[in-house]
Amino acid sequence: MASSGNGRPIRGIWPGALLLLLALLAPLALNQYYQSFLLQVFIAIALAQAWNLISGMTGYVSFGHAAFFGVGAYVGALFLTWGVPWWFAVFSGAAIAALLAVPLGMLTLRLRGPYFAIAMLGLNEVGRIMATLWVSVTGGGSGITLSPKLLPSLGVEYFSALVLAFGATLLVARIYRSRFGLELRAIREDEEAAEMMGVNTTLNKVIVFVLSALIPGAVGAVYAMYTTYIDPDSAFAGARNIEMIVMVLFGGSGTVWGPLIGAGLIMIMREMLWAQFPAAHLALLGVLLLVVVLYLPGGVVSLARRQRYLRPDARKSGEAPPP
Amino acid sequence: MELLQPDILLQLLIGGLLAGALYALLACGLNLVFGVMRVINLAHAELMLIGAFATWVLYNFFGLNPLVSALFIVPAVFVLGYYFQRVLIERVVDRPMLTSLLATYAVSIILINIGLLVFSADFRSVPALQGSFVFGNIAISEPRTIAGVVSVALTVGVYQFLERTRLGKAVRAVSEHAQVAGICGIDVRQIRMLAFGLASAMAAAAGVMLSIIYSFWPGSGVDFIQKCFAIIIIGGMGNFVGALYGGILLGVVESFVGAFISTQWGEAMAYLLLVTVLLIRPTGLKGAPRG
Repeated sequence: MASSGNGRPIRGIWPGALLLLLALLAPLALNQYYQSFLLQVFIAIALAQAWNLISGMTGYVSFGHAAFFGVGAYVGALFLTWGVPWWFAVFSGAAIAALLAVPLGMLTLRLRGPYFAIAMLGLNEVGRIMATLWVSVTGGGSGITLSPKLLPSLGVEYFSALVLAFGATLLVARIYRSRFGLELRAIREDEEAAEMMGVNTTLNKVIVFVLSALIPGAVGAVYAMYTTYIDPDSAFAGARNIEMIVMVLFGGSGTVWGPLIGAGLIMIMREMLWAQFPAAHLALLGVLLLVVVLYLPGGVVSLARRQRYLRPDARKSGEAPPP
Repeated sequence: MELLQPDILLQLLIGGLLAGALYALLACGLNLVFGVMRVINLAHAELMLIGAFATWVLYNFFGLNPLVSALFIVPAVFVLGYYFQRVLIERVVDRPMLTSLLATYAVSIILINIGLLVFSADFRSVPALQGSFVFGNIAISEPRTIAGVVSVALTVGVYQFLERTRLGKAVRAVSEHAQVAGICGIDVRQIRMLAFGLASAMAAAAGVMLSIIYSFWPGSGVDFIQKCFAIIIIGGMGNFVGALYGGILLGVVESFVGAFISTQWGEAMAYLLLVTVLLIRPTGLKGAPRG
């Protein structure tokens, strides 16, 4: 069991490589508008994969994950105004978001049940309020404007977002196939049984939680460079918080491809709706979420490959499927 | 320190108790639903806002006194909750908690954004009741007193219903062990619908009371649901009386911290209390450990 999956060819490696190639070549063919749009899709994919790591893999729903994005955005923007290189700002955003996740995870994840979900529920809101009140550092409601001199070109931002989206997806794929991923899914299915089998549940949950905070931290910093201006409402946007969750569930939670597909589809829908009707867009996301939760718990991915996605590991390693 | 006078302390205490009573009314409904069907209703605060906006509409367009409109709104929301349980929550009751959390989260997103489409993001208030009661050196605002007293009365009323009546006993039996209750001949589905209707009605009543003392907008629910969760974790999840104590405790603590330190710290107390209880006694002050 320990090496389950290692040595098997990775399913989906060819479509993945093709998508990556297209994304790498896209800037040559596309104008600024489409490059910008793709960049936002990459940001969405990275965020969705981050949420997928904690909530899709372990079943612990994080209702405030966008807070780590906001922290990353603020840390990145502040570091940039202090004149550090852009890549260092991105690393710092990731590092500080991850550091914040350690005590938070240790506090809420040692408990089973809904405590984690409840504790995370207001986190994004807490971040927004802190960014508004802590005027001496964050500039309060007037936000932080980044001078273009400090920033890399759109191309660099495009590729950093692409690297984050690709890296996050790869991380999910690696974890999914590893023993660690197996342990996480064991926690999701039956935490008590997992513990009985010798899985260190709390440690595993905290590790994956910190990983899932690291990605939004980095993404937030890239976002700050891309928009050149952040304020509490844009960095800690409630809509982003909702979108992260809906993208994963719509695509297929706990899978490698689901969040990618979900993020792509939701971003296209958002591009068509958001500018005119933000409230209608969010209400629609709510309806979508409800429909998926009730009628399609496996997301779009499960529609496409219902047979192969049900218990891929059990079949390949010759185990008896659970009754 | 001029705040440390008996009159002022008493005033703060009464203010805190009255605010806490409103929290308790809201949190007890949430905890009732959790106790009976192990579902955390993330849309609970939006049910409260339905009550608040209904009061606002009736007051603004028909000039109806909020205490009169409560007589229509609360039963109407009871019926709404009753059927809401039947149509939606019943489908997710026996699924993993993740499912019901996400389903009710979706409902809250839908309600908030419909609220934004209909009422916009402006703050509303229902200034129907004004003035204050003065006893010696203590003055308490009239709407706050009414809201607090009505909230206590309703919470105690529901508690008495649960403790004293046969139907209430059935509700408690289902929350103790649904399967055994079913074997004993209790219609579990029916009881769940009743419990959800009751909780919704309590939320709507809290909404009516909220509307006469605070201003609100469709997004106000977040602050309240946050406090409710702090309260039910402090009091013990699924424990009706625990939520009552927790609510009053939070109200009083907020009132004192708000006066002695700052209002913002008062608002943050819910989170701090929550974290403290999670660290020291995760099952809550009155909760028994559950599997």
